[in-house]
Amino acid sequence: MVADAGAKTGGGLADRGSPDPSVGRPDCRRPPSHGRLPEGRLPPGPTCRVDLSQPLEFSFLGRPVTGFAGDTVASALYASGVRIFGRSLKYHRPRGLYSMEGESSNTLMAIDKVPNECAETTELKAGMSVRAQNVRGDPQTDRFAFIDRFDRMMPAGFYYRLFHRPYRLWPLFQNGLRRMAGTGVLDPRRGLEEGIRGEGGIRVEGGIEVEGARMGSDVRAERYLNAEVAIVGGGAAGMSAALAAAERGLRVCLFERRPWLGGHLVWRVRDFEGEPLHRRAEKLAVRLRAAENVKVFTSSPVTGVWGENLVTGFTSGAEGDLFRECHWECRAKTVVVAAGCMERPLVFNHNDRPGVMQVGAVWRLARTYAVLPGGVAIFSVGDDLSLEAAADLADLGVKIRAVADAREAVRQDAALVTALEERGIPVLAGWAASRVMGRKQVKGCELGALKGEASRRFGCDLVVANAGMQPRIGALATVGARLAYCGHTHTYQPVELPGGVFAAGSMTGLRDPRAIEASGRLAGERAVESCGGSAPGPDESLPEPAPGCDIRHGPDIGRGAKAFVDFDEDGTYKNVVESAAQGFDVPELAKRFGGFGLGPGQYRVAGQNLAMIMADLRGDPVETATPTTVRPPLVPPSLATLAGPGHDVHKRTPLHGELAARGAIFRRAGPWLRPRYFSEDTSCRKEIRNVRRNVGILDSSPLGKFRIFGPDALKALQRVYISDMRKAPRGHCKYSAMCNDMGQLVDDGVVIREGENEYYFTTSSGRAGSTVEWFRYHTRYDRWDYNLVNLTDVLGSLNIAGPNARRVLERVTDDEVSNEVLPYLGCRRITVADGVEARCLRLGFVGELSFELHVPSSYCQFVWDLVVEAGADFGIRPFGLEAQYCLRAEKGHVIIGAESEARVTLTDIGMGWLWDCGDTAAKKVGAPALRACEKQPGRMRLVGFRVDEGSGSPRDGAVVVDGAKIVGYVCTTRRSEALGWQYGMAMVREGVAVRGGRTHIRQEETPGRGESCSATVVPTPFYDPGGRRLRA
Amino acid sequence: MTFRLTCPVCGKRDVYEFTFGGQDRGPRPAQEGLSAEEHFRWVQFRMIPGGWEGGEGGGVREGDRAAPQEEWWYHGQGCGVWFRTTRDPGTNREVEGGGGG
Repeated sequence: MVADAGAKTGGGLADRGSPDPSVGRPDCRRPPSHGRLPEGRLPPGPTCRVDLSQPLEFSFLGRPVTGFAGDTVASALYASGVRIFGRSLKYHRPRGLYSMEGESSNTLMAIDKVPNECAETTELKAGMSVRAQNVRGDPQTDRFAFIDRFDRMMPAGFYYRLFHRPYRLWPLFQNGLRRMAGTGVLDPRRGLEEGIRGEGGIRVEGGIEVEGARMGSDVRAERYLNAEVAIVGGGAAGMSAALAAAERGLRVCLFERRPWLGGHLVWRVRDFEGEPLHRRAEKLAVRLRAAENVKVFTSSPVTGVWGENLVTGFTSGAEGDLFRECHWECRAKTVVVAAGCMERPLVFNHNDRPGVMQVGAVWRLARTYAVLPGGVAIFSVGDDLSLEAAADLADLGVKIRAVADAREAVRQDAALVTALEERGIPVLAGWAASRVMGRKQVKGCELGALKGEASRRFGCDLVVANAGMQPRIGALATVGARLAYCGHTHTYQPVELPGGVFAAGSMTGLRDPRAIEASGRLAGERAVESCGGSAPGPDESLPEPAPGCDIRHGPDIGRGAKAFVDFDEDGTYKNVVESAAQGFDVPELAKRFGGFGLGPGQYRVAGQNLAMIMADLRGDPVETATPTTVRPPLVPPSLATLAGPGHDVHKRTPLHGELAARGAIFRRAGPWLRPRYFSEDTSCRKEIRNVRRNVGILDSSPLGKFRIFGPDALKALQRVYISDMRKAPRGHCKYSAMCNDMGQLVDDGVVIREGENEYYFTTSSGRAGSTVEWFRYHTRYDRWDYNLVNLTDVLGSLNIAGPNARRVLERVTDDEVSNEVLPYLGCRRITVADGVEARCLRLGFVGELSFELHVPSSYCQFVWDLVVEAGADFGIRPFGLEAQYCLRAEKGHVIIGAESEARVTLTDIGMGWLWDCGDTAAKKVGAPALRACEKQPGRMRLVGFRVDEGSGSPRDGAVVVDGAKIVGYVCTTRRSEALGWQYGMAMVREGVAVRGGRTHIRQEETPGRGESCSATVVPTPFYDPGGRRLRA
Repeated sequence: MTFRLTCPVCGKRDVYEFTFGGQDRGPRPAQEGLSAEEHFRWVQFRMIPGGWEGGEGGGVREGDRAAPQEEWWYHGQGCGVWFRTTRDPGTNREVEGGGGG
């Protein structure tokens, strides 16, 4: 069953968690190997998920601690006696376990040097190193604990209002506050120590494949799914919905954030229809895993549901997975949200003391993790599930002194009240906790009547508190459902759902397990109908939702200076009152002003309480309260997961292996990996010298290469190129440029007419990918008949450049390549060796005699070998991009992006001569803009300059200054061996661009500190101004 | 930004596969006698009900709602076709029957 399920659901990504749930986990019930129960543990029951026979050693603050397989970090720490898990953000109050669901930052810890890991939900692994956060020293004796006494100095919004005057002291306060408040600390060395780099990662196809992967703990994966029905939540409702949809043949993906299916049933042992509830959930899970077409993802919280039903989330890797976290996106036709409920925190004085916990946390500690949550407990709750929990915990040996229920007696489940009374536990209807005693841990609790003055004090070490249940509305909120306050359930309920989205289960207010399952089935059938399937059967009638509890806060709240509405940001009841008094009296404003719901808990802890309390403060009916917006991610994945596996997806030229063997140092250039240098010398002197004096060879294969043909090919060229393409003669390379509608240079290259309505043209390598899009966009209204073929990857390109280039070429071809037959800017087809057809273009980008051979990619290596062999006598050697960059700059040839940018037009960089300004009929792209800017005063110009000898050596990006005023910037500057001086090109303002003019260049390494040097404006090209060498 | 668009060749696909080509503002205006201002309006401005955004008689008024508009999209990660579709910028969704123009 298990293996089969694994295969069916697509490998290790899905369907992990518990083994066959029908038999529970027999191992877990095995007593510990030494026969004695470990301290702090309960005898494992039928719902237990830890294996007390498998101890796991880990460390907390450097001290050794023992947990067991199946524990979370938090349950293991709690069992070993840890009560204070960290300190709060503002007041440095001790904080402990609260929800076991990661709802607040209380239990965010640094695990193996990764900050802000949620201890409540992180599975324990042997050898983990766990540390507390926002703590100086031990959380028991935090040095900043004294701050708690100074809450009067830190009213709501204090960060915005205080410490700003005098302003010059602000940096001091800011840095101080940052040090004292804050959460985890990133360790920048961590990645280096473990050798984590961008490479590695996995490819998931069908099952799981490993591709050059570093099988490590830090691999991040991603996966894209499609489903007809996506289900958020693997509880009874979600599973029922999945079964209903799968039975009608739909493809279903079900996402459950816990490591197992069953929702809140899995730790309940109460009998229902003749069997314990957890058995009921297990039976559903067995049916689900046997169902066709269902993929089950456990440990997979949903981060949001988006437009047109895209469900996103992530899966935490478990033992045996090849990733640590996997981000996934599921495009679904329909979405069933059955996310269940969470508890609404009860606001009362000192409700954040370690030992105050939500019912679910206490219950699961005992039932799921076999941890004794405490000795003596007080309950202050607001729903029937909590009463059931009290009775169950009493049976497990927790002494419960009293159960306060904020509801009136008539709203309680009488059977549960009887069960409690049978166990000798008094139930106080209409009462709630008013305050907790004890500083570092709960020592006692005061209960008070919500109406009247009555109060009672109890000694205890555990206070179990909630204000009833609230649905997990996050998924519905992110998908754009309209939610409204329901006066019956006292929760926010969806009143309008987007198309194809359905809600089901306990989040709709249902409590009866049968009703929850029925609502799931119904939602599944509606999803089927929405996908165009057969109409669902007769409606099962669902019972009315159970009435809810509307308590705002405990009795006798007073100022509420330590009654926390939000744990993450230390937002108290008092702070809410202060916010309201200053006009920030709606939740969205109070959130910004007081920080309520800004922390990791987001809406979940503060949301509904803040809205209800604020409505009371304004005197509005609670139905009008609008809670703060729920922000994704609903559960935070790590940033590394969002960054993805970090594959470097790049293109390689046909000569990649050859170049690598010759010692090329590769760098990314657009989508390509290209050789930047051929030695450690980044000034590339030898490569440059060899081209200038002898002959070099460059792999220019990434150059964009295109064929355009058809009756309207010339019209298309006329539209996108700025020159007159009618004048392109056969056998000649016509150099031209493309501009965008703002007149900015976007591309340059040569166009060769090869026949009637048939042209071959080149683009810069960076533009090759978008050239087809560009042509078609700018001719989209014209219905012109032309075809455009991208030959960039089909043809490789070799550039042979240098005074000896022709002699080398002559050795590999029998065709005539003399200056008469193939002059500068000529082009002809030649045959290399015995039969490789090549286009041979005579270009001069680097300023020397040069030939560019365009040959089929598959022949590139062959031609390269021939040329290199033929050039061996001359000492031919490859050169890289840096050498090419310098060589062309000496010639004053521009590179787009180096000598041009978004504010610079074709005429600004002195290339206006390319523009066929008389032609308006072709509607050339960019021509109107060029006309508008051509004579515009105040434009910057590209000029060449020579750095005055001995005055310094500026670098690319240095600024050109006139006194204190910046009048330009340096685009490119290099020291030239051929010239014997440092040259450069700069964009400068008018007035500076005077030939022979003196300018000053300032280079600043750090603001305010730098060196200045002087330069003289000189004409370009710097090298071989007459162009004799490239015409040789 | 997770809506889908209907490519006339490939059908409904994720918006990630497409490049936006702007609002459909009609063919490139004739350049003979075209003023710079007219050109830049055609390039940069958006047409809204009642005229050009920010132009005379145009401008966003109180209570204006984004109206469905004709747009150009390029299926660059797919078949490479430029096509027109009608989309409501207020909801980010294609308007019924807007695909495949």
